[in-house]
Order: sequence, then C-alpha cells, then structure tokens
Amino acid sequence: MSMPELHNVVCVKVVPKPEEIRVDKETNLLLREGVRSEINPPDMNAMEMALFLKDRYGGRVSILSMGPPSFGPFLRIALSMGADHVYLLSDRNFAGADTLATTYTLAEGVRKIGGVDLVFCGEESSDGATGQVPSGLAEWLEIDQLTLLTEVDVDFDRRVGRGRREIKGGYEILEVPLPCVVSVKTAANEPRFMDYRIKPWAYEDERVTVWTADDLEADRSRIGLAGSPTVVTGLAEAPTRQRRREFLEGSPEQIAQQLASLLLDDV
Amino acid sequence: MVASHYNPSEEQKAIWIYLEQESGVLENVSLELLAKGRQMADQMEWRLIGLILGNKTGDLVEQAFTHGADEIRVADHPLLENYTIDAYARLVYQAILVAKPSVFLLGATPNGRDLAGRLAVRLRTGLNADCTGLRLEPESGVLVSEVSGFGGGVLALIEMRSHRPQMATVRPGVFEVSPPNYDPTGETIHIPIDLTEDMIHTRVVEKVSGEQVDLSRAALLVAGGRGVEGNFKLLGNLANLLDGEVGATRPPVDEGHIQRERQIGQTGVVCSPKVAICCGISGAFHFVVGVEKAETVIAINTDPAAPIFEFADYNVVGDVHEIVPALIEAIRERKNSSETNL
Amino acid sequence: MAPVQQPEEELFVIDDELWERLVDLTGGTATVCYQCGTCTAICPWGEVRQEPLSVRKFMRRAQIGLQDGGPSLWFCTTCAQCEVYCPRGVNICDVFRSLRTIAWEQRTVEKGLPSLLWSVFWNGNPWTQPPSQRSSWAKNLDIPVFDPAQHEILLYVGCTSSYDKRAQKITLSLVQVLQAANVRFGYLGDEEPCCGESVLSVGHKPYFNEIAKNTMQVFREKGITNVVTISPHCYDVFKNHYPAITGQEITSSCKHYTQYLAQLLEEGRLELGTPFNSLTDRSAVSGTADKHRKITFQDPCYLGRHNDEYQAPRLVLKAIPGVELIEMENHGQDSLCCGGGGGRMWLETAPGERFSDIRVEEAAKSGANILATACPFCVVCLEDSLKGLGMHDLKVMEVAEIAASALLL
Repeated sequence: MSMPELHNVVCVKVVPKPEEIRVDKETNLLLREGVRSEINPPDMNAMEMALFLKDRYGGRVSILSMGPPSFGPFLRIALSMGADHVYLLSDRNFAGADTLATTYTLAEGVRKIGGVDLVFCGEESSDGATGQVPSGLAEWLEIDQLTLLTEVDVDFDRRVGRGRREIKGGYEILEVPLPCVVSVKTAANEPRFMDYRIKPWAYEDERVTVWTADDLEADRSRIGLAGSPTVVTGLAEAPTRQRRREFLEGSPEQIAQQLASLLLDDV
Repeated sequence: MVASHYNPSEEQKAIWIYLEQESGVLENVSLELLAKGRQMADQMEWRLIGLILGNKTGDLVEQAFTHGADEIRVADHPLLENYTIDAYARLVYQAILVAKPSVFLLGATPNGRDLAGRLAVRLRTGLNADCTGLRLEPESGVLVSEVSGFGGGVLALIEMRSHRPQMATVRPGVFEVSPPNYDPTGETIHIPIDLTEDMIHTRVVEKVSGEQVDLSRAALLVAGGRGVEGNFKLLGNLANLLDGEVGATRPPVDEGHIQRERQIGQTGVVCSPKVAICCGISGAFHFVVGVEKAETVIAINTDPAAPIFEFADYNVVGDVHEIVPALIEAIRERKNSSETNL
Repeated sequence: MAPVQQPEEELFVIDDELWERLVDLTGGTATVCYQCGTCTAICPWGEVRQEPLSVRKFMRRAQIGLQDGGPSLWFCTTCAQCEVYCPRGVNICDVFRSLRTIAWEQRTVEKGLPSLLWSVFWNGNPWTQPPSQRSSWAKNLDIPVFDPAQHEILLYVGCTSSYDKRAQKITLSLVQVLQAANVRFGYLGDEEPCCGESVLSVGHKPYFNEIAKNTMQVFREKGITNVVTISPHCYDVFKNHYPAITGQEITSSCKHYTQYLAQLLEEGRLELGTPFNSLTDRSAVSGTADKHRKITFQDPCYLGRHNDEYQAPRLVLKAIPGVELIEMENHGQDSLCCGGGGGRMWLETAPGERFSDIRVEEAAKSGANILATACPFCVVCLEDSLKGLGMHDLKVMEVAEIAASALLL
C-alpha cells in the first residue's frame, strides 16, 4: 500500500529590515518608504524544516502568506529553495489585521489549500514579534499544536507529528495527531540556499496563486482592520542604543563597587 | 467586528494572573505579575485573582496569597501534572467564561505564549504580546500595553476598547517581584475539572532534564577570552552569583579550557542578554557579533586600545584577575547586607 | 532525535553526466593533469597536518567525474601555491571551485556556508551586517558620492573594509593618503554592491554570476570606469572573473590600491616624506634608537600569485625614508597563504592548523619589526596569530597604514 503524499504548508511573512524602520515624529506612523524587505528570518527556519521532511519523505510543500502583491518575488525565493507552490492571500481588506484577524485569514487559506498534514510557522516575526500566530492558527483550524520545536518528524503509520522542544535544563519529545501546527524555534537549523537550477521554474507565473477575500469566502467582519480587537494608539522610535563607552576609574575595589552597583541596582 | 464572548458591560472588575508553575515551583514572571497586578488592582479598587493549574498545588496557592492575590482559582488534578495545551486551554477558557474578568495577564514564557495565543482566539479577544509596560486607565478600565517591535526599535501602545478579557503576555523581568508580605490566606475557589484523559492529545514521548547549555537565552553572560588565561572557574563564580551563564571566545575553547557549546560569536552562539560582562576579550569582530544585541556591555581588558571598548557601555582597563575577585567580593557584601536588612 | 525512518544508503557511482558538467565548469583544465602529485607536496596543508590535503586526488576526481561530498574539499584556501609549480598549468583553484559548485547542488557543503550566501543575499555582505550601515565608517568624513564628471577614480571599499572594525582602519588610512595626494575620488556609500568574491570562493558559481551581472550593472549606470579596490580579492574578481560573465572589461582600469599608490608616487602626486618610525607603534621594540624600521612584506595570494603583482607594494614601502625592507624566506610567489582565502574566513580552522601561525613565526625570524601586508584577510589572520602566540615584538600593518604614517605633516 503506497504512502499517502505528505503535504505541508509553511506560513511565511515578508518584513521590513528592522534596523531601517523609522517613525514619523509628526504623524506617528511608520516610515516604510525605501526600507529594504526580507523574508522573516524565523520563517526561513520553518521552511528549512518543511523542506527537510520533503527530502526525507517526498511530498509537497506549499507556501502561504498574507500580504500585498509585492510579497510575490520574495515568496518565489521559497520556491527556489524547493517549495512547490505559493498561495498569496492578497486583498486590501486584509490590511490592518492584528493577530486575531491574521490567524483567521491564514486559517481560511489553509482550509482552501486543503489536504494539509502539518502547518509550519516561524516562532515569531521580526516586526510585530508577538509569537501568537502558531497557536492562534491551530485554534481556528481546531487542530493540535507543538510550538518552539528544534526538530520535527512525522509518523505516517500512526498519523502523528513529532517534535523536540527545549525546556529549562533539558528537552522533551512530544507527539500530537495529524494534522497539526508546528512552530519552529528561531535558528533551530541552517536554511538551505536557493538551487539555481530550479530558479527559472520558480519565476514562472503559474507558481503563485493569489486569493482575495472573495476567493476565500472570508467573513468580512473577521478580516483586516475590521476584525482586529486591538488598536495601536501610540507609536514612537525607541531611543537608539549607542554604547556609552564610559571608562570607570579607581582602584580595583572602587571599580568593583561601581560595577556591583550597576549590576545589582540597575538590572 | 465580531464580539468577544462577553463585553465590557458584563465584566468582573478584576485582574486575573495566570500563575505558571513547573515542577511545583511558581515561575518568577508570575510573581512579577502579581506585584504589578496588586499595584493596578489597588489603583482601580479591583480584585487581584490568581489562576493555578497543576497537581498538588497547595503550597503554590499559599505562596500566591503572600504575594498579594485576593483570590485564587485553582484546578488541581493529576491530569494537570504536566502542562498540556489541550487540558490547560480547556480549563482556563471555562474558568474565564464563568468569571468574565476584565484583564487577564500571562508571562511571555514558552508555555505562556503557547497558551495565550490559543486562548485569545478561543475567547475571540485581542492579545497584546510580550509587553514591556502596562497601565490601567482609571476612568475607562482600559488596559494600555506597551510593546516593542522591529527588533526593539519601535515602541507602540496598544489597547482594546470593546473586547474582553483584555489579554496580555508580559516579558519576564520587566516588573519586579514584591516581598511576600501579604497574609498567606484568602479565598480559594476550585475550578471544576471538566476533563478526561482522551481530551489530551499531546503525548510526552520522552522528557529529559539536565545540563543543557543554551547561551542564547541567558539573561546575563560572563564571557572570557584569552586574558582570562583559562580561569573559567573564576568567571563561573561570578556568573553563579548573578544567576548568569559563562561563555567564551574561540581561543579558550580551542585550548580546551571550556566546551565549544559555550563559544560566543560568528561561528558560535549569538546571544541577546540583558548584561554581557566581557573579561579579557580583545573584541574581534567575529566575537562582537555574538554579543552586540546585549542591553548592557561591560568590558574588562588590560589593553586600553582593545577594540572591545568601542562596543561596551562600561569599560575597565584592568586585569581580570584583580577586578573579578574584587567584584565577587563587592557583590557578596551587598547581598549579605541586604539580607540582614530584611 | 532518532528519525522515524532511516534514509537509504547511497551508492558510490561514477557519473558520466557529472563528468561532463565538471569538464564544462572547469573548461577542461584538469584533463592535462598527469597526476604527478607536485601540488599535494607543495600545498601548505602538508605543513600543518599529518596527512596533507591530497590536491592530486581532487584533480583525479574532476577527471573522472566523482564527487564524494567530504569535508576536505573545503580545506583549499585557493592560495594557488600549487598552480605555480604545476608542470601542466592546471587551473587547480578553479577545479576546487567547480567541485564546490557540484557540492552546492548535492547539498554537501560545510555548515555555515549557506548562511554566508544568505548574508550576501539579504545584506549585501558576508558579515551579516545591516546594509544600511555599510558606510558608517565614513560618517565623520566628507567623502563624496562618486560622480563621473568630477572623480578620477571610484574607491571600491569592499565588505570587509567597510564593516570589520580592524579593516576599517585600512580604509581610513587609505582615504588619508588619497586626500594627501589630492586625488579626486568618490565612493558608493551604502549603495556599494558586493563584488561577490566570498560567493565565488565557496564555489557557488551561478549565484556569483548573478552578483557579477548586478554589480556590473550598477557600475555601468553610475558611469564608473576607473576602480581602485582595497582588497585584492575584490580586485581579482573584477579583473579576472567579471569580463567573462558580463561580456566586457570591468572598467578601463581596475587597480589594487597598492598599484594606484605606486602610480601616484611615480607621477609625483604622492610624497611619503616623513621617516617611518611609527610613534603610534605601541609594541615598539624598546631601546631602538635607529630610525630604520625593518619591514617584511606578506605577499597576499590574490595580489601576488593570482595577479602577478609583487612590485607595487614594495615600491610604496621603499619610497618611505627609513624603511629597511627585508624578505622572508618564502616570499613573492612562494609567500605562505594566511589561511583566509577560499571561504575559510567563514570556517573554523583548528588551532595548530593555522597557516598564519607559521607565517608570523617566519616573519619574526626574518628580524623584521613590522609585518606589512596588503589584504584585509591577511591583516585579520596574521594579527590573530600574533595574539594567539603571544608575540609582542612584531606588529602587523597594512601598506596603506604605513603610507599614511609617512605622509608629510
């Protein structure tokens, strides 16, 4: 009896390079103009994990993302790494979503893709860094979750997903039934570089499917700004950390006192 | 907008804190939240309620009262011995729907995030994650959370006006624990254990505790380079006093003074501690890359022109073998005197 | 965690398709190798390891189409010492690069190398540093952005000299020297594209080709014709690898900075008149009243052997009053590699196996106080060795730094 094909989805976000983001002091809005973008680094680890399972068991890896059309070229990078198809959820009505609306939308995307065994997510995104998407997504999909995994495997015979999770002073190996959501711990692996032999294929038009809110038959009251309970009421640039380069003076004992003060009082 | 299961007009004027425990010990962040929660509850004249799940939690309940909880809701059962998302999410969800608190806070620990993310969706409410500041608006009872994004470069204030509970996960170490001066008694309400074994889908195949070196999550690092001349025992003493970890640059690792898992830098571990104390390290680029995300960097080196001094906040031109022992002494002194003062 | 299923054992097979690809990638250079083994004998790895790197075997692999994916493929620093003595003129470095190209396809590359490529891809440099900070080294200076109407040359800084704190000092020194000679130069600031040498050195030829085309495009758009580089590695790819890929000479003239300084000296535009006794030299040999500073020169592989340039840096040094140039036993085309090339700046080299350890000892034996060089990788590796061996009587300096200290005040 042949093994059913493993089909994994990886949720990927394209984010601005964090060190380039500025806040307009007058409007209190993020200044995104001219800021370079990249694939959220933890999502690279999630992709590598899914591709690793594809190496081992065959099957397909689909990339799922919610964002504007400009995400397209970045998501094709995933195809050059070995993923099979990109699904981009793109609609103006998706904009302004907090994690409740985002996870709802992504869940609808996973449902529409269908036949999914594992949904991979990065631990968090470098912009919002909420780390809530994996568990929120699992809840909408009503499936199980394993978060912060450093290793992932699948047991088809028993239809379970298995993962290794680091805990204080040790680790645990956990299993949940398939389908499930797994989040991959940041830097848990080294993402493979693109394979230039498949790059031309990755840039063919038909590799990317774009779905709108209508395509998903999404509940309008749950998506985008409309579906977001949280509101940002203030935005500011954090004071930039310049190293003080302050030289402490005195005898070793005097210096020790100053350091002790720094360490115990201010930390 | 879809509403949460209850709205502000139905809310219980209370702050709930999820008191996370592991192997019968309350997480520090939970105690931090009790302290902050107590402060906010006093300000608003609201109740502070702690939520504990586990097995044989009696001591924890008492401890929570001494840290200022007015009431503890507890679910005590063998099935709750180990954290599982299935059991915990189910019971916490039920408990919250019964009581309808205004605010529900959790520590942004691995399990805390695991639980909060799922619960927020189940409750159809918002969740402010990894907060670095909290405040309750006196008139409206709205929780304003401060969060940072973009690698810490941007600060944002976030709130939710019409959804309840107002959930937030809080970054460990932001708030301070208060001394446990409150009465070790209070109202304890037991949560009905509406749970069977087959509801728990997560299976623990293997669990191993033990020495696992993970510098990437250390809050304080004492790193040693050539200048330490292999005396990592000295650095270890300092690290222990400060609840930190010991790391190293490549040369001491090469020479076998310390294990490779503790090597920091481009070809080692990249860390982001609150404090990094760099001892006898010149500050070559490939090392600095491993500590540049530290909030505060202290550098000790005999060479006044050592490059590390450009990357540090507090610089000491001196011998590690003189400064570190003196520092250990100074810290011990302070700890002893603060203990006797209590 | 033990895998649920064990992967199948792979068989060792000679592959005709692979052979064809290797011939294609290497231009058939390995065909003429008659397996004499001179390369293995002369390779510096034989000086630091019990078992030398069998360069000969790698040539054989290329001849018959074999790739075993082992770690020794990554030892080669592409120093080209073997190429000097190869009786058949095999382009041995390129064979290694080509075998590495195959390793990328088979995914048997050393740990850390995919991250290196991603760093170049996302950040435009191999050091994982933010692209928006590429020109931070210049923040207190007033260096103009390159304008073809105004500037004689483009100063191409390069990634290492932009970001590495030690190497930045080379850049600052060179800027001083160029300004003293009234050279009208500009740079590309944060927009400076990576030359891609780090990518080529680890054998990812397809990605390197892409970088070359993009960088060339930037140069063309900005009207750049005369390039002066700080690193010999950048110089090498611009001069020797870009033309074949981009279909044109990189620029009318591409020079390494030592060649440009030699030219400026010849034209009388640059004067290095202050006698060299390096007051800033903190590790100065105590009690030396004599004004002769004994300098020995480390020929960087990518300036010397790869590009036949041994004279220019020496010309610059000898132009400085008070300098006594001493040669190490292994100099010129026999100069010992510092160990940084071939991608090894991003790989761990075990203690006791570092070429630069041997090199600094050789430098000390020559009686020199200063070990001069003209490559940021050499500077970093040699200084690292000095520190590791606790050698305080020798100092490493770039030619640019020595020249800067000799400028008329």
